Amino acid sequence: MSLYTIRNLAVDIAGNRLVEEVSLTVEAGQCTAIIGASGSGKSLTCLTPFGLTPGVASGTMLLDGIDLGNADAVRIRDARRRLTGFIFQQPLTALTPHLTVGAQLQEATMQAGAARPARRELALKLERVGLSRADERLDQFPHRLSGGERQRVMIAAAIAHNPKLLIADEPTSALDASLRAEIMDLLDELRAEQRLGLLLVSHDLASVEGHADQLVVMDKGRVVESGPASDVIADPKQDYTRRLIAATPRLDEPGPKLSQPGEVLLETHLMGVEFARPGWRRGKLQALADANIVVRQGEALAIVGGSGSGKSTLGRAIAGIGPVSQGEIFWDGLPLPERRKRSLAMRRLIQPVFQDPVASLDPQWRVLDIVTEPLRNLRPDLTRVEREELAQQALSEVDLADDFLIRIPVSLSGGQAQRVAIARAIIAAPRLLVLDEATSALDPLVGAGILELLGRLQVENGLSLLFITHDIAAARRLCHRIAVMEDGRIVETGDMQTVVENSRHPATRKLIAAS
Amino acid sequence: MLKTHLALFLVLVTVALALVLPFLLPWSYDQIDWNAVRAPAFSGSHLFGTDEIGRDRLARLAAGTRITLMVAIAAALVSLIVGIAWGATAGWIGGRVDEVMMRIVDGLYALPFMFIVILLMVVFGRSILLVFVGIGLVEWLTMARVVRGQVMALKQRTFILAAEAAGTPSITIMLRHILPNIAGVALAYLMLTVPQVVMVESFLSFLGLGVQEPLTSLGILVKEGADDMDMTPLGLALPGGLLVMILVCLTIEGERLRDRFS
Repeated sequence: MSLYTIRNLAVDIAGNRLVEEVSLTVEAGQCTAIIGASGSGKSLTCLTPFGLTPGVASGTMLLDGIDLGNADAVRIRDARRRLTGFIFQQPLTALTPHLTVGAQLQEATMQAGAARPARRELALKLERVGLSRADERLDQFPHRLSGGERQRVMIAAAIAHNPKLLIADEPTSALDASLRAEIMDLLDELRAEQRLGLLLVSHDLASVEGHADQLVVMDKGRVVESGPASDVIADPKQDYTRRLIAATPRLDEPGPKLSQPGEVLLETHLMGVEFARPGWRRGKLQALADANIVVRQGEALAIVGGSGSGKSTLGRAIAGIGPVSQGEIFWDGLPLPERRKRSLAMRRLIQPVFQDPVASLDPQWRVLDIVTEPLRNLRPDLTRVEREELAQQALSEVDLADDFLIRIPVSLSGGQAQRVAIARAIIAAPRLLVLDEATSALDPLVGAGILELLGRLQVENGLSLLFITHDIAAARRLCHRIAVMEDGRIVETGDMQTVVENSRHPATRKLIAAS
Repeated sequence: MLKTHLALFLVLVTVALALVLPFLLPWSYDQIDWNAVRAPAFSGSHLFGTDEIGRDRLARLAAGTRITLMVAIAAALVSLIVGIAWGATAGWIGGRVDEVMMRIVDGLYALPFMFIVILLMVVFGRSILLVFVGIGLVEWLTMARVVRGQVMALKQRTFILAAEAAGTPSITIMLRHILPNIAGVALAYLMLTVPQVVMVESFLSFLGLGVQEPLTSLGILVKEGADDMDMTPLGLALPGGLLVMILVCLTIEGERLRDRFS
């Protein structure tokens, strides 16, 4: 018998049916992954049977012989406490800030009625999830730990009472790429060791591939396709699954056709950025050091690195929206002055696009005003009518209809908002776009659409791109060359394909392993 | 609609009455009816009677409400303008400038407010202008802190970076991107500042430091009523009740706005 079985699950919130006809099973010691875009109902499917969402679940839900569908709240709570462990996306907010790691772990251990654990036992639990100096960590508060360490503590707490089923809701989405693989490997080990069933929720097919035994693809509250993971990936039956698989960048897919780069457009020479540490006289933090990069006309350069590697700092310094402490930037062989001294024509040359498309649009403005903002400042020679014509043209370049001009940002989806942001960036005819994680916050299908759009703009308009990302596979779809960063330094540069095949630096290998 | 916004509705009715009544009543607030000193309610043309020197209570109540609300709104607007200018400048520039500007705010917070007002009164004599200055000196501090916090949070948002990359000058970013986005919160705090100022003004007037006779305010009316409460409780109950109602209603509306915007 399966450890956990769901048959014909439906979830209603306030009279709206958000999930229906979902069936899945989780076997002991195996992993079932639910894949879907945001709003597909995947989290509701996982959490509602245990009373963790405002929704009402109906259908058959059997956990280790207990019928959750017909049980009252007390029995559900009891089953949840004894049999299940949960891991959530945000490791920072999922741990209580004012309790030490040891106290939280002890609470987690005792929730199923176990006796008060000895300190040694707790330390062993932390060691098991790969934390060093476990004894010391027991007395630390969550804010002292890094994101990856916090997620390990979460896992230790989730399995502290020896549950049979572990439910992980996007456990790696908030972590940077190299940590993702480590956490997924840890989950694999634990499940083999303790015969844990794992129900994994993710929006990212690539992160579960190789870890999941069963795959359930969800869209709009329904199951699109399900089956053994290898079969679904190798031979998808449904169109949606096929599109999802095609949209997920992989390092073993055939390389894309890229345009031929021209002359050197932008060159940085030993660029460095220092930030003052917060507070009085705390010294400086070197966020970027000795960065030398070259971008040619019509070329896409990927800047890849983990969080805190200085890649965004580099991008912002080049785009003239962040500080530069040392070094020089050359444009067409001539030095580019610091941002306040750049002329209007110079400012037009480089435009940025940011990660969170909704935050990068002023919520109070109409799309028309947002898109024409660069023109109003950088092209004072244009009339209002000319600006509106250019705005329409820019929108059609990013595949949005004219009626978007009067919309406001709240009414846009993530993908549409990112297209508006790109329209704003290209409207003043720049020659280099700095894309700071421009696809990372989007669902895979939407993100692939944006990647395709960027590729097309690059070929058609001869744009150069600086593509800043943590995802090598996504960068490979677009970029000619790559620069890998770690701790504020560029550690490896070269042709994309060469670096992917023969990486020399350990940081690069980590990032490649994670893709 | 009326039920959810009852508080706002009551305030608006009060304001309308305070503005219109002087034109409808046969008596003005400083006119003495020698034939009806200490008249009880509903006697002749005096709906709520007259006070101990024969002035019409309703007319005085309307005049007092007008003065109190006028002082409150004017002082709240002054605090809004000064607070936004100060807070937005500190938040936008940041660094040392921010440190210094905010320490000045902290310093002003630490001053004993009543002491300063009494000192001003002693040195310059009593006037309604000084009440303004005294209240304005204190009330903009909270607004400045709130606005500074909002501006610093907005500064982190990427649409500000995008605007910089689009070549938008700082002053335009401030006026077109930042101020519209803090308007909601500022409005909510404005609504909360008004009842605070009403309170302070009434307090000063009650102590005899506020506006001068024959001008009147709710605080003065409460004081007069309190002096005479054993004879005519109505003289205390009317302005006191009105003051409480205005304070409660404005605070309810202000907090509703604040919850919506933050």
